[in-house]
Amino acid sequence: MANYDAIIIGAGHNGLVAGAYLARAGKKILLLERRSILGGIAVTEEIFPGYKIPTCAHLAGNFSQKIISDLELERHGFKLLPLTPLLFAPRQDGQGLVIRREFPDAAQEIARHSKSDADRFQPFCELLKRLSEFLAMLYQAPVPNKANPRNFHLVKFLELAWKFHRLGARDMHEFLRILPMSIADLLSEWFESDLLKGALAGRAMLASFVGPRQQGSAFNFLHHQLGQSNGALPTAGFVRGGIGGLSEALCAAAKSYGAEIRSATEVTKIITANNLATGIVLKSGEEIRAERIVSGVDIKQTLLGLVEPTALDPHFLLQVKNIRSRGTVAKINLALDSLPMFSSGDQAALGGIIHIGPSLVYLERASDDAKYGRFSKRPFLEITIPSIADPSLAPAGQHVMSVWMQSAPYELRESNWQAARQPLGDAVVRTIEEYAPGFSQTILDRQVLTPLDLEETYKLTQGHPYHAEMALDQIFFMRPVPGWSAYQTPIENLYVCGSGTHPGGGVTGLPGYYAAQVITKNWHAKK
Amino acid sequence: MANYDAIVIGAGHNGLTAAAYLAKAGKKVLVLERRHVLGGAAVTEEIYPGFRYSVCSYVVSLLRPEVIRELALPNYDLEIIPLDSTFTPMPNGDYLFRSGDHARTRREIARHSVADAEAYEEYGRLMVHMAMAVKPLLAMIPPEPASWHPKNVFGLARLGNHFRRLGGELFYDLAKLMTMSSADFLDQWFETDVLKATMSASGIIGTFMGPRSPGTAYVLLHHYMGELDGAFRSWGFARGGMGTISRVIADAARHHGAEIRSQAPVDQVLIRRGRACGVVLASGEEIHAKVVVSGVDPKRTFLKMIDSQCLSREFKKQVSDFKIRGSSAKVNLSLDSLPDFTSMPGAGPHLAGAISISPSIDYIEQGYDEAKYGDFSRRPYMDIILPSVLDPSMAPPGKHVMSIFVQYAPYDLKTGTWPDQREALGDTVVDTLSEYAPNLKDIILHRQVVTPWDLEQEFGLTEGNIFQGELTLDQLFFLRPVAGWANYRTPIKNLYLCGACTHPGGGVMAASGRLAALEVLKDTQVRLL
Repeated sequence: MANYDAIIIGAGHNGLVAGAYLARAGKKILLLERRSILGGIAVTEEIFPGYKIPTCAHLAGNFSQKIISDLELERHGFKLLPLTPLLFAPRQDGQGLVIRREFPDAAQEIARHSKSDADRFQPFCELLKRLSEFLAMLYQAPVPNKANPRNFHLVKFLELAWKFHRLGARDMHEFLRILPMSIADLLSEWFESDLLKGALAGRAMLASFVGPRQQGSAFNFLHHQLGQSNGALPTAGFVRGGIGGLSEALCAAAKSYGAEIRSATEVTKIITANNLATGIVLKSGEEIRAERIVSGVDIKQTLLGLVEPTALDPHFLLQVKNIRSRGTVAKINLALDSLPMFSSGDQAALGGIIHIGPSLVYLERASDDAKYGRFSKRPFLEITIPSIADPSLAPAGQHVMSVWMQSAPYELRESNWQAARQPLGDAVVRTIEEYAPGFSQTILDRQVLTPLDLEETYKLTQGHPYHAEMALDQIFFMRPVPGWSAYQTPIENLYVCGSGTHPGGGVTGLPGYYAAQVITKNWHAKK
Repeated sequence: MANYDAIVIGAGHNGLTAAAYLAKAGKKVLVLERRHVLGGAAVTEEIYPGFRYSVCSYVVSLLRPEVIRELALPNYDLEIIPLDSTFTPMPNGDYLFRSGDHARTRREIARHSVADAEAYEEYGRLMVHMAMAVKPLLAMIPPEPASWHPKNVFGLARLGNHFRRLGGELFYDLAKLMTMSSADFLDQWFETDVLKATMSASGIIGTFMGPRSPGTAYVLLHHYMGELDGAFRSWGFARGGMGTISRVIADAARHHGAEIRSQAPVDQVLIRRGRACGVVLASGEEIHAKVVVSGVDPKRTFLKMIDSQCLSREFKKQVSDFKIRGSSAKVNLSLDSLPDFTSMPGAGPHLAGAISISPSIDYIEQGYDEAKYGDFSRRPYMDIILPSVLDPSMAPPGKHVMSIFVQYAPYDLKTGTWPDQREALGDTVVDTLSEYAPNLKDIILHRQVVTPWDLEQEFGLTEGNIFQGELTLDQLFFLRPVAGWANYRTPIKNLYLCGACTHPGGGVMAASGRLAALEVLKDTQVRLL
């Protein structure tokens, strides 16, 4: 006799979304989280007393508006704050670039670097916005998969084909062309300013193993325009209370629908019998049964860690092992005594993304090192100072800084991460110091999360925040495993819903949302 | 009053093929070639007396069987000698050797890894299956996805159905192959670095990508789609050098009545009332024709040979955005005797096949990294053959010619120009190869270095790109050369395009020339109706 309708393993944002939707649909839901804090990588932690830091993910601008309104997250305390300005890209010579929200303002700033780029910026953003909206629509398309080979919705397909044609010939061609392109090539078709191109390429670089010159980076760029974006950059993304505020609101929503959530409760095994998932086992030894088991945990940790290898057929197992999750990011969290003083631009420009990556060549070089098992000494950095938008995160006048660093490969050839942790932190601080002299003097405290630390803390294979690379061969019907993109696994009643599933990472909530839809639909079909 | 039914600009092998098909259909055809030699990049030239070089293109495998058959090319003395093996010498004195002899290859790979020897068989079978699945696309006019025209809708539906019928696993394997990097793809099969490096090298030839770049695994297949007497994957070279292929196609064209003029550079396409009606030579001579087919790359064709006002700003932008960055060079050597490889001393079957300098993935990738930032690779990847071993007519008795394909040599150099750097590149190639064959410097009689700049200046290949345009996913099939114009037609009525810059892309295939000619004939028939 099952205790619950469904157990969700992992209260990361996708697990929480799935749990909330299922509870809202009337199911008896239990969410189990290993850590004492809920939210997976979307957490705010007071790692230094008095300083609340989004220790992993730091922006939630890609989060689905539909989910926000369906689950009434704002009523539960979720508040998305704007990025002001959108982005600041400093340069060592003092000639930085600020990209503001309103197009005329943005154009004015860009014109200081290139007049033609200033004219092209808005059309570029508008085109990419249209294409990313089409991509978002494409994400919803049900595809035939091994669990449901007959799952071909002619009506839905024709609807998509119609919407595709509505884009018009030019946009249709652009979509087909841009999807596999390199972001460097795309940006070079539109712009001439190195600094602008470097700044915009940031969205393409996030959690990517390859640099901006490589094919597939334009897709990564498009993917990161979901949600609050002007087509090229996010327009919102801070969360009141730090990104943990999103997870807290999701928890509140889930509970309001009757879901039960247990933290500091680790699942060690998924129970299967005769190719059927029937429950889970906790670290304590306690067994809990449910009709459906849903895992929001990292895909390889789920299928290679929580499931008995003999329960999966060898071909599927091999494909899971072949999922590429090469970690290339590190996270550095800092408590600051004061705002950094960048030699280009004033402190009013620090309320959005601070982008260190002054050209495409810089970004490409920063990605080269990982191939040879080294971390980059001149890395790409995506920096935010969330305490500007939300002063409650730090004591008055002081700040918290959140830094994503690329590239830092999980496997170092000539060292190990225990030994390299502080040198990595030093390299990051040194890099920022090149743009903001005196920066190192303002650091009160520092936490360095290497790929190994990310793996251990957040249970991410190789510390990859998206669970699996967002490469062209690991998206859509190929994600997480070719033919298994509908959240089902070969084990009946075992579902997966984390970022390692379609449509991938970036704190969108969509994997959890689509998974819940599939689970609900299958439930009714079974009955 | 038109003098000719069709003028073909450029006697590259595709232009010659188009001319042959048009002539065979009864059209009065004139081919105009700028150089004194016919064949474009598929030429044999006796640069030094007695020594015949396939100056640019050096191997063939993808030459379309329907072209060979329909133009009756064997009648004109075309013989393709198979290249049966690939020999990869290693810095530590070991080597990797693969050949058409399956048992021997298995044993050779097993010396490095038994698991890889097993996997190699299965891998080969999969690649052949995928090649068979993709081959129909080589002979297909790409359907236009943005069009509601029944022909295109039908074409897309047929294409979709073709892939659907492949069955689940093959379809997914193909999807992976089209999008992965050759290194990642091969990592899933093999563990031996030198094996993966040698195999992935074919994925980067002619591209500005490295083995770790997404989109290089697909090119692996391109080179598996070759056919020699029905056998997949084999490479070969033409007796007499690559120029033989061009000569033979030219002979076929002349046999059907085509006229071919060399040393007749075309300056402009003549356009009246928005229609192509002939050409103007550099000499000023005007020649009229009902139809003009250009075998020259799109940047040269549209941005140099056509009055700018005849093309929309949008189309010109699309053409200038077309990526055509060259990354390859050739070094052709005359040798006094055979090279002696430390890994396999003396003369042997290894010298009758391809020799690959590709000791590891990192080696090739590092070479690529240098090129990204504007330097030629200090330790380049090389694909080498000694045509004179199997075809003694290529060199004086006892002596040899060596054809070395080199990557990476980027067209855009960070410092200096290619004329300045030409010999430095030649030296780098010779120095690197000497590490594997120490007698090399002693036996070199002559050296010819063909840089991307030379490919552009002498052979008309913009930016020295050997495929008249990069083979990246955004420039293939219905996107090649530009979206909306992938069916050999151009925005100018009666002006057509053929060559590697159109589908199905690069390699000595003659596919494009044939398809373009067929489209010209379709249009002229419609007109007659």
